[in-house]
Amino acid sequence: MIKTPHDLQTYRKDLKGALRNQFLGKTLDTFATAYPTSRANAFAGIDFDTLACEIAKGKDESIPKLESLLEEFTAHAREAGAVVHFARTAFEANSIIASIAGENGVKKIVKGKSMTAEETFLNAHLEREGYEVTETDLGEWIIQLRGEGPSHMVLPAIHLSRKDVADLFTKVTGEPRDPDDINGMVKVARRELRRKFIEADMGISGANFAIASSGTIGLVTNEGNGRLVTTMPRVHVALVGVDKLVPNLRSALRILTALPRNATGQVISTYVTWITGATECKTADNGRKQMHIVFLDNGRLALSKDPLFSQALRCIRCGACANVCPIYKLVGGHNYGHVYIGAIGLVMTYFYHGRENARAIVKNCLNCQSCRKVCPAGIDLPGLIKEVHGTILKVEGKKPIRNVLLQKVLPNRRLFHSLLRQARIAQKPVADGGFIRHLPMLFSGNHGFRRLPAIARVPLRDMWDRINPRVDNPKYRVALFGGCLVDFVYPEQAAALLRIARKRAVQFEYPLGQTCCGLPAQMMGEKQTARAVAVQNLSALDPADFDYIVTLCASCGSHLKENYSRLLKGEGALAVKVAQLEAKVIDFSSFATRVLGVAPEEFQRAGQKVAYHAPCHLCRGMGVSREPRELLDTAGLQYVRSGDEEVCCGFGGSFSIDFPEISAELLRRKLDNAEATGAGVLVTDCPGCVLQLRGGMERRGGRMQVKHIAEVVAEQRKS
Amino acid sequence: MEQPQSLVLMKQRAEAVQTVVSEVRNMREAFDYCVELAKKEGLQSIAAPGLGKNASALGTICKKNGLNFLTKNLREHIGRIGTGFTVANWGIAETATLVIDSGSEDLRIATMLGEIHVAALPRSRIVADAAALEEELTRMMKTTPSYLSFISGASRTADIERVLTIGVHGPQQLHMLIMEEELL
Ligand code: SF4
Ligand code: SF4
Repeated sequence: MIKTPHDLQTYRKDLKGALRNQFLGKTLDTFATAYPTSRANAFAGIDFDTLACEIAKGKDESIPKLESLLEEFTAHAREAGAVVHFARTAFEANSIIASIAGENGVKKIVKGKSMTAEETFLNAHLEREGYEVTETDLGEWIIQLRGEGPSHMVLPAIHLSRKDVADLFTKVTGEPRDPDDINGMVKVARRELRRKFIEADMGISGANFAIASSGTIGLVTNEGNGRLVTTMPRVHVALVGVDKLVPNLRSALRILTALPRNATGQVISTYVTWITGATECKTADNGRKQMHIVFLDNGRLALSKDPLFSQALRCIRCGACANVCPIYKLVGGHNYGHVYIGAIGLVMTYFYHGRENARAIVKNCLNCQSCRKVCPAGIDLPGLIKEVHGTILKVEGKKPIRNVLLQKVLPNRRLFHSLLRQARIAQKPVADGGFIRHLPMLFSGNHGFRRLPAIARVPLRDMWDRINPRVDNPKYRVALFGGCLVDFVYPEQAAALLRIARKRAVQFEYPLGQTCCGLPAQMMGEKQTARAVAVQNLSALDPADFDYIVTLCASCGSHLKENYSRLLKGEGALAVKVAQLEAKVIDFSSFATRVLGVAPEEFQRAGQKVAYHAPCHLCRGMGVSREPRELLDTAGLQYVRSGDEEVCCGFGGSFSIDFPEISAELLRRKLDNAEATGAGVLVTDCPGCVLQLRGGMERRGGRMQVKHIAEVVAEQRKS
Repeated sequence: MEQPQSLVLMKQRAEAVQTVVSEVRNMREAFDYCVELAKKEGLQSIAAPGLGKNASALGTICKKNGLNFLTKNLREHIGRIGTGFTVANWGIAETATLVIDSGSEDLRIATMLGEIHVAALPRSRIVADAAALEEELTRMMKTTPSYLSFISGASRTADIERVLTIGVHGPQQLHMLIMEEELL
């Protein structure tokens, strides 16, 4: 039975347990390392982003028409001799299938892999009604024998070691099994399951596609059990989510181009089977199979009508959003979803399996954007996760204290800033070497794994006029969007930017009405607050006044560029302003290389070796990855690549307060990788990452320095 | 003769999924290949449903070589099927896929429950990608009932520690015989 914790305390306990599981950690790590390469090879010669756009577009065209596609499918399938059923709920689907079994005098059932059947807990239902049900996909069979749910949508038993499987098979067959003889164990399954195929009266499959124009279902498998389940028994039932309906073969083939490549790095799965109607079956009464297709709604049609959440139905169940998720990699699927696993699991659990099951897990997202980048259907997974999180907070009305504070303080800039100033005074007695343990308001909790920085003596806004000279006849005007961390914690990063731009006839401005970008509010599920500060920032920074709006913070930058338009959608002139703002927002590295056009002559040569951490919100959020590396090179620094350079550092704003153990583990791996390069400095271009990385480096007593890229580049300038 | 691009791609992609590719001139050579392979692997029988008028030729060779030749009611022979022999309708180079009309139950059993699957594929029937077959496949799907199979390699799993293992439910080997001549 699947048990998903309903509260954060229990969930954290489970997570700690998972972090201690060394086999899991190692195996998922190897997988996460191997996956990007095999995926890239499989996609060689195909433009992934274009394909993802096409899939999304195709799905978006069919989702509003699911009901008419269903009608079309039904007509064709019936003509070909199939019986089509429609189940509004999981229970209805299970009951329909049980009665088909009953009417046909079925005793034994073989099943192909179907996430939809997992969703409805079909096996449990059928077993209660007295049927013998055997899963035939090897991974599914293994977890069925263990009484577990899948830990991955494509690789259901990835959490188990060869020894676990050997022990299990020893029990099942009564003969000892050698864990290192994997081939031998696979042959046990071949032998045992072949018998089941032959004896079964009914086969149950899922479907990857339901093609409306011909009434065809498409099944994608590697083992071939799909073909046997649909061939050997005299009755075949396919349980299909209505979201699997596609208009025609072309749409199905387009999805098929992406599915195996993205799932397992194969150009195609071994067996793709297209079945239309009641095909030949010599043990059936009239020589033709009893073919039933049960379409499942279970909330899908409601989803299909929502302007935001309908995109979740684009999912083609490739499992890639788990493969690339840094949290999945640490804790595995049993701790990262309910039935559906990974980013899409965090979203779907709420809709298919309820708020209680979603409540704790939906908080466990770093907003690192990795899942979104890899999704072949272009689903904004992190965005949907936050929406669900916010909705749960709202309907439960039990907000954590920091949400209540944030809601009160953040929309009032003066109050917020004066609290930050007071925090500096309050921290004084415990400040040591620039680091303190607590930083009220911005952060809370006691985090042994990293030291937190002190609030700056003089915030950027107070020193701005002093460090920012007026320029006669400037070529262009640039606004700096500071964000809380640059303004109140790391003003030196802004000073570095000004030094680099000196003598270039650029007039910088720091509009004082600007405040927190609002991302922390969005991350905590506080959309209203996020909206309120977005409006404030938009009035402080009128895009018409500037040629560029530079950020030193990738998180602020990507939030301004992407989320503001969503927060202010449909708000007339403001929405237009947002679009204008988006066009002018630029990250520091792109600004330095492309706008300022810094050149090697300006910098000292033979600089030191540096490693780089690519902030999630820069490399994925803003799609910037070449410029920072180029800039390091221009500045005469020797950039050395480190392992997992684009994997999240574990900061994730308030994430690290809720899940300190995960944050700490991601940080540890990040620092290990950086140290392994032998470089003296770890460079990044987001003050949030600086906070996390520097705090961690200090805590472990590492010898590497951690710096914002603006700082190292400024230091390299010839005097 | 220079090989057309799709043939080169087909061979290369087939290798990547452990499909054994050979070129033969005609059906006769394909039969010989199939029989030699069965003998080499110590198999007792060849199942070849749906061969039509070519069946008797294969039957004769089997007999000469002491192999059982099965053409129908294959359910009764499950467990005793050595090699399943089929002729593919199409080949898709990009994914090394055999497209096989599998409406016949016997054909499905021959291709799934034999130890080895040998498929002959006329060279003229190789296309670059699945999209090139869209119309043709749609037509086949609409000739109902229809059971159409894409087969790309031997049955495989990676469900135990992600170790690739061949031959979980279906055949342990897939041989693709690219045939110069059209079917007669
Ligand atoms: S945003 Fe990152 S942490 Fe969140 S689900 Fe996606 S990959 Fe996982
Ligand atoms: S959400 Fe996207 S990445 Fe995740 S399983 Fe679905 S299609 Fe794949």
